[in-house]
Amino acid sequence: MHYVFQFGVVWDNWQRLLQGAVETVQMSVAAFVLGLLLAGMCTYARGSRSRVLRSAVRGYVEVIRNTPLLVQLFIIYFSLPGLGVRMDADEAAVVGLAVNFGGYATEILRAGIEAIPRGQTEAATALGLRRWRIFRHVVLFPALRIAYPGLAGQFILILLGSSVVSAISAEELTSTVNTLQSTTFRSFEFYFAATAIYLVMAGAARVVLDGLFWLGFERGRPKLGAAGR
Amino acid sequence: MNRRDLVAGKTIAGAAALTALAATAQAQATAKTTLDRILADKKIRITAEVTSPPFGTLDRNGQLDGSEIATSRQLAKDLGVELELVQVTAPQRIPALLAGRADLAISSLSITLDRAKTVAFCNPHGALSTVITAPKGKPIAAPADMAGKRIGLTRGTLEEAAVPKGAPAGVNFVFFDDIAATIQALLSGQVDGAGMSAFAASSVAERNPGAGLEKKFTVARAYYAPAVRQADHELRQWINTLVFLNKQNGVLADIYEKYTGEKLPDLPVI
Amino acid sequence: MSRDFEWPEFVFLLLAVRWTLALTAVAFIGGGVGGLAVALMWVSQFCAVRAVASVYIALLQSTPLLLELVLGFDGLAVLTGVRLDPWPAVALAFTLYAAAFLGDAWRGTIEAIPRAQWEAGAALALPRRHVLQLVVLPQAVRIAIPVTVGFLVQLIKGTSVAAIVGFVELTRAGQLMVNVTFQPMIVYPVVAVLYFLMCWPLSLAAGRLERRLATGRG
Repeated sequence: MHYVFQFGVVWDNWQRLLQGAVETVQMSVAAFVLGLLLAGMCTYARGSRSRVLRSAVRGYVEVIRNTPLLVQLFIIYFSLPGLGVRMDADEAAVVGLAVNFGGYATEILRAGIEAIPRGQTEAATALGLRRWRIFRHVVLFPALRIAYPGLAGQFILILLGSSVVSAISAEELTSTVNTLQSTTFRSFEFYFAATAIYLVMAGAARVVLDGLFWLGFERGRPKLGAAGR
Repeated sequence: MNRRDLVAGKTIAGAAALTALAATAQAQATAKTTLDRILADKKIRITAEVTSPPFGTLDRNGQLDGSEIATSRQLAKDLGVELELVQVTAPQRIPALLAGRADLAISSLSITLDRAKTVAFCNPHGALSTVITAPKGKPIAAPADMAGKRIGLTRGTLEEAAVPKGAPAGVNFVFFDDIAATIQALLSGQVDGAGMSAFAASSVAERNPGAGLEKKFTVARAYYAPAVRQADHELRQWINTLVFLNKQNGVLADIYEKYTGEKLPDLPVI
Repeated sequence: MSRDFEWPEFVFLLLAVRWTLALTAVAFIGGGVGGLAVALMWVSQFCAVRAVASVYIALLQSTPLLLELVLGFDGLAVLTGVRLDPWPAVALAFTLYAAAFLGDAWRGTIEAIPRAQWEAGAALALPRRHVLQLVVLPQAVRIAIPVTVGFLVQLIKGTSVAAIVGFVELTRAGQLMVNVTFQPMIVYPVVAVLYFLMCWPLSLAAGRLERRLATGRG
């Protein structure tokens, strides 16, 4: 096969590729923050006395972890409008990614919390701290420190996994190259370039996340809020 | 057998497999034309895009159906070879051909200048027009009315190329990777209107009366044709001959009329 | 005339499940062989061999599955002229993906075996290869089972991405059925349930195996 590579056409479109990459990062960060909030609420609900609430969280986690992200996105974008819940593609993509990540993050936080010795919460209770304060200071923050590597790994997975949201017409890097290749027919060059950009983004994200871990947990006093930012 | 033998064995097997792969590549690159291979294997692989009625659909039993499927079956029969339909999405029609997953694309591929730079078209075997379709309540009578509306288009289609050209500023185009997704978005109200072939628009409207869809305006007209990879001159000549014969004997006209409900227009040749 | 989502449409989805399972099986077996090779390369004494394994894992784990699939789908033909049918092309892409994941996971389990055992083997003048084969691997396999079963779930779900390039498996079948029934509210949840029925038992098994391993060791 006489295929002549023409990477010039990729270079001509560098601004659109860059914009796509920025959209991918924005979408991933938004999904990460939302998903982490969701997971925090689920983790709190998991410790509640209500059996219904606990089963609901368990059900959510199991459904999310045992069905594909793509099908979850289809349900949010194509099925929910039938129930009157309508989001545009970019919103549906962020919500889909967040709900998906939330399921995994709930599990990661649970593992983190289970690693906290029970004696610590008991000690805090004995000190007369309120339930919410115990949860926040004695359970959630130390658990976040343990859970951080797992959550950071999940962020990379969101970044890479977000490539499938082009299937519901959301705009990010993969959908940008889909459009570019369908008009220029230089599919290999564009997909190759996009893959390289994802590789760089994933590498950069790892460096940033490691840096945040150091800033948040290792340096001086353990200030844990940095995890979500 | 110790581990060293195992590892050595695996290395040799791997090297052998690589050599075989390279040899196949060599053989495919030099010796045989695609037509030779089709005749030797007694099998032709043709793209099938089944989310675009009436060109390609699925019948009640999940079997592939539609005018392009019928055309593919006819050409394979004429060639005297077995037909393997390779399912693709609309944007994958040309990539599937270029990557060699299919020998021939017959999936209502309109002849356009951009595509002609990448693949070689045979003589056309049908004609279509691209329209904007939307629910009756949406006031979209002309291209200018699309401003501020969300218009769904499928990547890698005629409408993707044609609709934005005549559109005013401020249209929110929403691009999908699959005609199925574009239609679903239209029916679920995720887009205000969508571009697709006039036949597909009628078919979707008819199959889904509740949505109250109607054709708003015509964007482009085009002839669609089988396409081959640019080097496959022999195959293209064969397909041209078969298209010619099936035009003469009325088979193509019958297929067109059966699926679209319209008379086959006069078809020019390339 | 739109048709409803009835028995024949459901059967269409059920029949598509076999393609999801077949693709998963091929990728799992191919990925298992490849993964073992990658894991063994990682514990090699030669740094060049280790580098190849680590670069392979890093590349495949830092790029989206969808693009690996698209590049595997088109890239092979473009780069080498080898033209594969859709089935082998998709199977190859998922095999490479699975090999990277399993290679990394199994490397982890091999490294989890205490260093002292290698040293003990060396002290007994056993060749490195024998220590690996007789001492390390049998223990590593036991640790590797839960994560491997867990990956099977990830692989089943991952095959849904093939729908985007038009490969007919369960998710694509769902799209096709939505396109003829126009009932996404029913079809996609049914698709989700079918995936759940495939994945959940495996997830439960993986969790159970993991707990058994944890208690067994402690």
